[in-house]
Amino acid sequence: MWAIGGRIAGSLATLLAVSIVLFVLVHTIPVSPARVVLGIDASEADIAEFDRDHGLDKPLWQQYAAWIGGVAKGDFGKSVIDETSISRQIADTFPVTFELVLLAFLFALAVAIPLGAISALYGGQTIDHLARIVSVVGVSIPGFWLGLILIAWGAVSLGWFPAGGYVPWRAGALAHLQSLALPAIALGLYYVAIISRMTRSSVADVLLADHVRVSRAMGLSRRRILTYVLKNALPPVVTVSAMSFGYMFGWALIIEQVFNIAGMSRALLSAIFRRDYLMIENVVLVITAVFLAANLIADLLYAWLDPRLSR
Amino acid sequence: MKALWRRPEACIGLILVLGAVLMALLAPWIAPYDPLAIDLARKLMPPSAAHWMGTDQNGRDILSRIIWGARPSLTVGVLAVTIGVLGGVAIGLSAGYVRGLWEQAAMRTVDGLASIPMLIWAIAVVGIVGVGPLPIGPWTLPNESKIILLVGILYIPPLARVTYGGALVESNADYVRARRMQGASRLAIMFGDVLPNCLSPVIVQATLLIAVGIVVEASLSFVGLGVEPPNPSWGGMLSDARKYIFSGEWWTYVFPGLAISLSVIGFNLLGDALREFLDPRRAAGISVVA
Repeated sequence: MWAIGGRIAGSLATLLAVSIVLFVLVHTIPVSPARVVLGIDASEADIAEFDRDHGLDKPLWQQYAAWIGGVAKGDFGKSVIDETSISRQIADTFPVTFELVLLAFLFALAVAIPLGAISALYGGQTIDHLARIVSVVGVSIPGFWLGLILIAWGAVSLGWFPAGGYVPWRAGALAHLQSLALPAIALGLYYVAIISRMTRSSVADVLLADHVRVSRAMGLSRRRILTYVLKNALPPVVTVSAMSFGYMFGWALIIEQVFNIAGMSRALLSAIFRRDYLMIENVVLVITAVFLAANLIADLLYAWLDPRLSR
Repeated sequence: MKALWRRPEACIGLILVLGAVLMALLAPWIAPYDPLAIDLARKLMPPSAAHWMGTDQNGRDILSRIIWGARPSLTVGVLAVTIGVLGGVAIGLSAGYVRGLWEQAAMRTVDGLASIPMLIWAIAVVGIVGVGPLPIGPWTLPNESKIILLVGILYIPPLARVTYGGALVESNADYVRARRMQGASRLAIMFGDVLPNCLSPVIVQATLLIAVGIVVEASLSFVGLGVEPPNPSWGGMLSDARKYIFSGEWWTYVFPGLAISLSVIGFNLLGDALREFLDPRRAAGISVVA
């Protein structure tokens, strides 16, 4: 129990450290938000007034405290560029990215775990060699290029899927899933490779364990032995999967650009090109928080599945 | 070493890596055309004897741009890994050998760094600092140098961890005790005995991380935050080619993508082969998650 509490506190401390780094980065850039909004010709007096209106003239630690205090209450503040609410933008775009990542994650698990387990059980045979090729090719094809190829094939040649854009759920379940199918595959293939590889090596390790040989000698049914093997092979697979979930959020931003999906990449990249620094700061903080949470869950699941290893 | 090259995957990996490296090194001599030369009369030409991979929307030779595009990709991959190896080995080795408070501080810092998602931070740092050349003293560094620095720093944790693990084991080995009794200095033992014996997993990890760096550079160039146009980069070429998916000029997006994939496959195969050869205990282990 104490270990879990300590681990959670550690993640929160890391998040706090990350927020300080972000804040320092954003507030030491040479171009001030006032210059971005008012232009190069603005007078010093206008700049000072703008800074006063937006609280940018206060000491940095006060600005930081105000920001973090707001974030803790779920209020990310307002964009200084166009006065829109950053919380609103994040609330609009985060669920889209989250759903894309979730679908890609489920796709990766559904393909990778059977593939990895089968290739370990039939080690050295054709299916194993095929799985190995899939895993080498899968980690090597960049997701955004796979996305372009999938559009050329699935949308332009076959016409089965839309070439891009996000169809909301209320426009129909089928159209909604169709619009996310290709992006989810493009995002998920890398993790099919990673997770199937982990599954293969973990199952192969367990197959060599003494308890499996004993079970065989006792004459237990093949099916029964298989369930024991899979259960024992699970912990490292679960850890890698949970970590993958965190990493997927980063790559999802690139995939969203390929498929023109209005997720967090739109919030982030449009903020970058408009030099909306506060927006960038908050989007990065949210994604880092998700990443930290995924790693935390990976650790906790591992400790829960394999209590021997928890310190 | 012979056994290593008898494996077909290792040979394929080595050939692909050599191909990419030679393209990058010899670009000025082997590229058939100037990668920046615009010729609007010959735009979007399919592959032919004159242009083996066709031409792009500005009539530039795609093969020449791919050959030149190897440079930023490999530069980012190799230099970021260099930063990661230098930092990671220094931290991991000293933490594993010196122990005590320094060990705690160093490895907690490494844990903190490991909890930063690489791609999003690369996007954010380039976004905040701004896209454009970076003037440092008398030199002007290209935009990619920001990516190299950030990715390099974020490569420190995995490399520090494998070095640390090795250093812990080796520091307690009998031969190190023997060396100590012979009166060898701490530094001599650390660099002369411990370091060489924990380098194998570092080499393997470094090879695999070069592959990740290539994909990160291509992804950032694809969204307009990496190599600045008109300079050739594989990601940037794919970004230009997006609209031709619908009009059927397949050569504009197939060849640059193949260039990225084949060079990444090369480094991954080479890394796997090196692992089976140098670090057989972990041969079946996982590749780098990113």
